[in-house]
Amino acid sequence: MTPSAMTATAGEFRAAGTDLSERRRSGVSTGPLVDISAAPDTIGMHWGDDGSLRIGAFTTIAVIAADARVAEAYPGIAASAQGLATPQIRHLATLGGNLAQRSRCWYYRNPHIACLKKGGSDCPARSGNHLYHSAFDLGPCVAPHPSTMAAALLAYEAKITTDRRSSLTIGDLLGDGSNGTADNALQPGEMIKSVTLASPLEGERALYKRAISRTHAEWPLVEVCARVVIKDDAFQFTRLTAGGIAPVPLRLAAVEAALQGKRANVATIAVAAKQATSGAKPLPMTGYKLDLLKGVVQDLLERLAG
Amino acid sequence: MSTMTINGKLAPLPDDPDALLVDVVRDALDLTGTKLVCEAGVCGACTVLVNGEPAVSCLMPARSAAAKSITTVEGIGAKALHPVQKAFMAHDALQCGFCTPGFIVEAAAFHDSWRAAKGASVPSREEIGAALSGHLCRCGAYDGIFRAVADACAGRFDGNDILPPRMEARDKVTGSAKYTVDIHHDGQLEGVILRSPFAHARISELDLAPARAMPGVSAAISLLGDDRIVRYVGEPIAAIAAKDRKTARAAIAAIKLGSERLPSAIGLDEARRADAPVVFEKSARKKAGNVSEGGGAPAAWKGNVRGPSAAFSKKPKKVRSWVDGARAANNPLLVEGTFRTGTQQHACLEPHAAVARFDGDRLTVHVSTQSVFHLMELIAKRYKLGHDKVRVIADHVGGGFGSKAALGVETTTAIELAREAKAPVRIAYDRHEELSVTGYRPATEMKIALLPSEQGELKALSLTAYADTGAATNSTIAALARLIYPAEGKELADFDVISNLPAGAPFRGPGGPPMAFALEQAIDEAALRMNVDPIALRKRWDPDPNRQRLYDWATNLEVWRNRKPIAAQSGRYRRGVGVATGYWLYLWQPGSKVEVAVKGGRLIASTATQDIGTGTRTVIANTVAREFGLEPHEIEVRIGDSKLPEGPGSGGSRVTASMIPPMLLAIEQLKAAIQQNAKRQPVPGSNAPWREMLAASPDLSASSVRPEDSRQTAPGIESPLKQVGFLGWIFGWMMRRFSNLAIGAGVPSSVQVIEVEVDTWLGHVRVLNVHTGIAVGKIAAPALAHSQAAGAVIQGIGYALYEAREVDARTGDVLSGGMEDYRIPGIADTPMIDVHFDEGGFDHVLGGSVGIGEVATVPTSPAVANAICNATGVRLTELPIRPDRLVAALKGRAAA
Repeated sequence: MTPSAMTATAGEFRAAGTDLSERRRSGVSTGPLVDISAAPDTIGMHWGDDGSLRIGAFTTIAVIAADARVAEAYPGIAASAQGLATPQIRHLATLGGNLAQRSRCWYYRNPHIACLKKGGSDCPARSGNHLYHSAFDLGPCVAPHPSTMAAALLAYEAKITTDRRSSLTIGDLLGDGSNGTADNALQPGEMIKSVTLASPLEGERALYKRAISRTHAEWPLVEVCARVVIKDDAFQFTRLTAGGIAPVPLRLAAVEAALQGKRANVATIAVAAKQATSGAKPLPMTGYKLDLLKGVVQDLLERLAG
Repeated sequence: MSTMTINGKLAPLPDDPDALLVDVVRDALDLTGTKLVCEAGVCGACTVLVNGEPAVSCLMPARSAAAKSITTVEGIGAKALHPVQKAFMAHDALQCGFCTPGFIVEAAAFHDSWRAAKGASVPSREEIGAALSGHLCRCGAYDGIFRAVADACAGRFDGNDILPPRMEARDKVTGSAKYTVDIHHDGQLEGVILRSPFAHARISELDLAPARAMPGVSAAISLLGDDRIVRYVGEPIAAIAAKDRKTARAAIAAIKLGSERLPSAIGLDEARRADAPVVFEKSARKKAGNVSEGGGAPAAWKGNVRGPSAAFSKKPKKVRSWVDGARAANNPLLVEGTFRTGTQQHACLEPHAAVARFDGDRLTVHVSTQSVFHLMELIAKRYKLGHDKVRVIADHVGGGFGSKAALGVETTTAIELAREAKAPVRIAYDRHEELSVTGYRPATEMKIALLPSEQGELKALSLTAYADTGAATNSTIAALARLIYPAEGKELADFDVISNLPAGAPFRGPGGPPMAFALEQAIDEAALRMNVDPIALRKRWDPDPNRQRLYDWATNLEVWRNRKPIAAQSGRYRRGVGVATGYWLYLWQPGSKVEVAVKGGRLIASTATQDIGTGTRTVIANTVAREFGLEPHEIEVRIGDSKLPEGPGSGGSRVTASMIPPMLLAIEQLKAAIQQNAKRQPVPGSNAPWREMLAASPDLSASSVRPEDSRQTAPGIESPLKQVGFLGWIFGWMMRRFSNLAIGAGVPSSVQVIEVEVDTWLGHVRVLNVHTGIAVGKIAAPALAHSQAAGAVIQGIGYALYEAREVDARTGDVLSGGMEDYRIPGIADTPMIDVHFDEGGFDHVLGGSVGIGEVATVPTSPAVANAICNATGVRLTELPIRPDRLVAALKGRAAA
């Protein structure tokens, strides 16, 4: 079922509305609304005895960004929350809403232009102006997925619970990018309730960074969340995920493979960072994102190894 | 019905699920300090506190405020000003003031939590920049905002109230300043415009009846021209006035439209093709807009290309043969290149807006305009009304930058809807309209050739500029290269490339920044090849006395003396220093009149000009106060109303130079009259003789019209048009005759030295330091002139690094119609800015002052590019210098 059909049957969910309000005002979103609000088990941090964490979907990004224990246990999650949007958005926006937000593509957001996500038959960005679009062309729609939190949660192998299903991976939640009509694989009327993170690995560290043209408050051209465990001067564990480059957040498995067991030094990192573009399929205007992707990966790994 | 508590009082919330908090606050509660700008949570102008936390009210469903405590700017410092408000006033951390309430709300919350946690320690620039990253200021008041927030957090503004250097600053930091969008008459309707979804079409059918029949709709009018052709996406077709915006939009959707699509040509490359569809047939050419501040000379049209306009050339054929010869001889000193610049939107935070109201046969229009008086004349002429029947008011204007100088569609439509509806009508553009159809600085493609002589002089310069003017003409870019760096010959040609895109408009120094981007990089390249210091080469080639002094200042800057040779670094981060020069014409408006009066012992200065954030009120108050030995806040300044004596438009940097001379003459007359009427002379030795005399004076007034300047000028100070000979004289005569602008002697000038850091991995440029030297004569309002100069640099950085309108090349849709996609600089992008004023050069102007607005932004983009070249050895030839372009250039690759 397409999102528009979903809207027709159930109504579009609205939590804080930081995404939806703009689409309502512009006329991209019409049809009924269903306001949803937090229950005690769908908001706040719920720490398990084993050190795992369940974050309620209604928890705001600002709360996640400011939580000292989250920053300690899951620094990549905290840094991603601190790095997205603006303070006034972070105070309103929820984790569930961040995951379920719609595409930021400038064709999709224009109410006068048809596109796959609005019932159209093709992607106008593919043959048009796609300066800020995908460099890994994995599906019919070339808009990158907008959720920074999704990329970070992918790096932590988070599990998502909805009102119908549990233990969904980010891949289960968002799909593989092959469905150009949707931004996620939620069923009609299905609501995200919480996100669970396993207890952190011993000695792991993590960083997050986005490449943008200005200093703050800009959708990422490329963003990467990197986790590592460095032991005996070697990469014992690495996990890198990237956003801003594909219709879904991507795991950079080739970089991880190139680092596994290798010495944590500049030379290893330089070689491994080149693997970041493995599998890339840039569009005519997005080749530059591959340079930025290599650069961000190299930057993060050098800082983690340093 | 649910309620919220707002500024301590209970208020009801509407049931409409689509009602947003910002609309309730502004429209239902009339708390208009909260501004609506981007409608997307990007700019922060709508920020309110929700239970003490800053939040964007433009994205907040009104019902989500239920049972919450909301604080707007009106609730901050309601009893006594908050320290942050005083600090913003003291540091002049604002210009037009439209973004200021949002900044105040956020900064007050930051201040309170900072001090609760950290006492009186001072936050760093990085901490302030991150805290305010959700706010945008188009004037670029960030330099003062940094200082204000830091000083407030340090506890330096806990004490008494202060008198700000800017006259209206208090109204702006408290949110009480009323802009056009804040005007609310009883029974006021909302106007919305139906715009063309097509790049080129003939509207065969326009049926307004279904819209007119809808409940709540009071007027529906056609806006089509006589040929019924629309030439760009967004061209107005019809308009509706209804009880609210939602109803008006629904009525727009009900209008029946039939159209015959016509082939279109979008942008420079497509419109120049020989087989391109023609946008304006000969009979329709008068419909094209104008991208310059003055009227233009006639030029030939060929298809969509208008030009060449080449009147400012000098021995152009010889130039071509010299350049061809140098190229054939592989002369290493011949600098040639193609430079491109992006389309820059004005992006005023207050959208184009007008509120029209008829009272019998009298028409009052509040307009967000740069020209209350001239607009009144234009409205009177268009609607055949007497000047005494039309009144144009603009108390405060939320930015203009050139885009609000003309009689716009928002104004004529509001008037026509109000006439038909027999009720007041407001039109306020939404952000997509503001970022697509209100004008822009056209993109350009410029080919330049610069040839030094064997003796190291400038022998020849060739510059051909194609401007992407959309549905407009009259770009003047190459011609501006005539008035700087004299040479044996200059071949200068300007072309407009008309296409099915919205019309460009004048933008802060029209033509100046792109011309400088090409010319100042060519000069830089010549200096490299001649192995001469780039400032020394400019000093040799540019005899203008104002700039000679600026070159001496620049060459002694430490950052310049410590500059490394080109491409001397190899790491990821590389620093470089660049220089560039800019100039603008000194313009003033004949007929400008100022009245100075004493009434009830108080001095009142009046003129029908307006303050668009440039500081006009303060320039007037400071001038009067200085002459009478009073404080500026003792002077009452009346502007922003066409009923006042004819005043200058805020364009062409003309206001200061148009106002101060007649003001000084009027003051002289008033003083004489006061003395004549005085019953007794002040006590000898009194330190405030005029205060006593004013207190005792009967009501008197004097006014004067702008006098001609003295012909006695300092050596080398002359009209820049003298270099162009008889044609220059004709150009000056035409400007005065047809645009009511006089071009004076002496050239307002600016030299900027800029240091950047380039991240070669991520293609990111950080501007570290800017030294901006400016020669515009005596500074009438120093704190405000500093704000103007710093803001001009910040806007120039936007032009250099971030800003570009993006369109779909097939449909002509503007894609960058939101502020997420049209990227203006944020506070954290602000470098350290050192402003140097050289106050000489204009002693022949009564008062000695000319305007600063435009000249201060001209050299920024080439100085940034020259600094990047110094750092990396790579010359960036296309603006904006975004990461995609920079990483491509560093790898020797062409960007997409």
